[in-house]
Amino acid sequence: MTDETPHTMVDSRGSACPGPITDLALAYRRAKVGDVIELWATDPGVEPDVHAWAAKTGNEIVSIENEGDKIVVVLNIVRR
Amino acid sequence: MAERVLIVGGGDGGTILANALDKRRFDVTMLTASPKHMFQPALLYVAFKNASRDIAREQRTLLDRRVRLVHDAVKQVDLKAQVVTTASGERYEYDYVVLGTGIRTNPGEIPGLAEVNAEFGDYHSSVSQAEKLWSRLDAFQGGTIALGQSTPVIKCPPSPIEGILLTDELLRKRGLRDKTRLVFFTPYPRAYPAKPMNEVVEPILRERGIEIVPFFDVDKIDPETRTITSIEGDEIVYDLPIIIPPFIGADIAYEPANVVDASGFVIADKNTMRVKGTETAFAIGDGSTTPTSKSGVAAHLEAQAVAKIIAGEPAKYNGRTHCPLDMAFGRGTFVIGTYDTPVRKLPPTRLKHWMKMAFARFYWISLRGWLEPMFTVYFKLTEPRP
Repeated sequence: MTDETPHTMVDSRGSACPGPITDLALAYRRAKVGDVIELWATDPGVEPDVHAWAAKTGNEIVSIENEGDKIVVVLNIVRR
Repeated sequence: MAERVLIVGGGDGGTILANALDKRRFDVTMLTASPKHMFQPALLYVAFKNASRDIAREQRTLLDRRVRLVHDAVKQVDLKAQVVTTASGERYEYDYVVLGTGIRTNPGEIPGLAEVNAEFGDYHSSVSQAEKLWSRLDAFQGGTIALGQSTPVIKCPPSPIEGILLTDELLRKRGLRDKTRLVFFTPYPRAYPAKPMNEVVEPILRERGIEIVPFFDVDKIDPETRTITSIEGDEIVYDLPIIIPPFIGADIAYEPANVVDASGFVIADKNTMRVKGTETAFAIGDGSTTPTSKSGVAAHLEAQAVAKIIAGEPAKYNGRTHCPLDMAFGRGTFVIGTYDTPVRKLPPTRLKHWMKMAFARFYWISLRGWLEPMFTVYFKLTEPRP
């Protein structure tokens, strides 16, 4: 990852229904190959959803980490 | 001198707010282009049941007589100078502005969709579009019906499920279900995005023989080959497409321009609804970025909170949703949650369906605020707890 890599921050913490998956789907829709999406969420359901999403779309999960009060997901868009 | 509150938009949120503000303290003006106010959930029943009773009323009849109502489209909002300019060139200065500008459908965003929506109608744009969809369903004799939302953010998140289940009901009643393949596509990992509610919804879809195609984010549609292609690379071939278009915010130029996102939604604090970087501007309802469902109940509760905040009382919106979901065959459920409490699993019942239908009658007087004590008690009783 270089400083020139388009890095989309998606803050989905404390979102009500329909929740963080909406934000991820929307960010993916607007993304291009080579982009990095960083998603912040508080809903623990985000982890299985991100795995299913990456498996379906063929994109890469760089990391999923619990950072105190939030879950930080970093994704590499390699297919779009 | 009374402080001037300018309300942009005459929908659910704007109307509730205009009526809720104390007119002895505030000089309230509403700017809205349309003289009519539409009960938007009615479009579902126009499209799938050909029911068109009491859809719209005159905006004037829904407002306290002390609210000044001006029918003019807003073109510019200068949040720094605190001035709003309309299509007719009038300028309105304000002490507080509330943007209840809503969202509208934008099929042009997806190649082929404008043509498909024009031919087959849809149930989120207008009464005439919903009537067109009904005429297509009415004439349908069998084949593949593909129904879904084209993009992730839509008005009324339960509406795709309602649409597919009411289609199934209609076909069964007409004896056409055996001749029809029903395909439900969605950009989400499952039929309903909120998992607990999906546990209620998905078994019912399967029981009714509806095919679920998850992770299907519409990229383009080819009306010639009747093929919908997703960003993920999948295809669905249809005979009758019922496609919920993308949505965008109102066509208004803001100063500063960075208070709207890429979809034209106004960026607002999720608890106070204050527009980013301002103290005197608020955004409520579908047209704001508050991370809650784009629904009447959210607009209603945001409007009530903003009325209190403008009056100097402590208030905040907690993300509460209470969206009715028609499960067809006379049963319904609600999608209830807040920012801090996930949606609960609530099975469908006849009572909940009756409540949805009863609300359609209460709606017009609910705008006046006369039912507020009842709503307060009801929302408290049904408040989700972590």
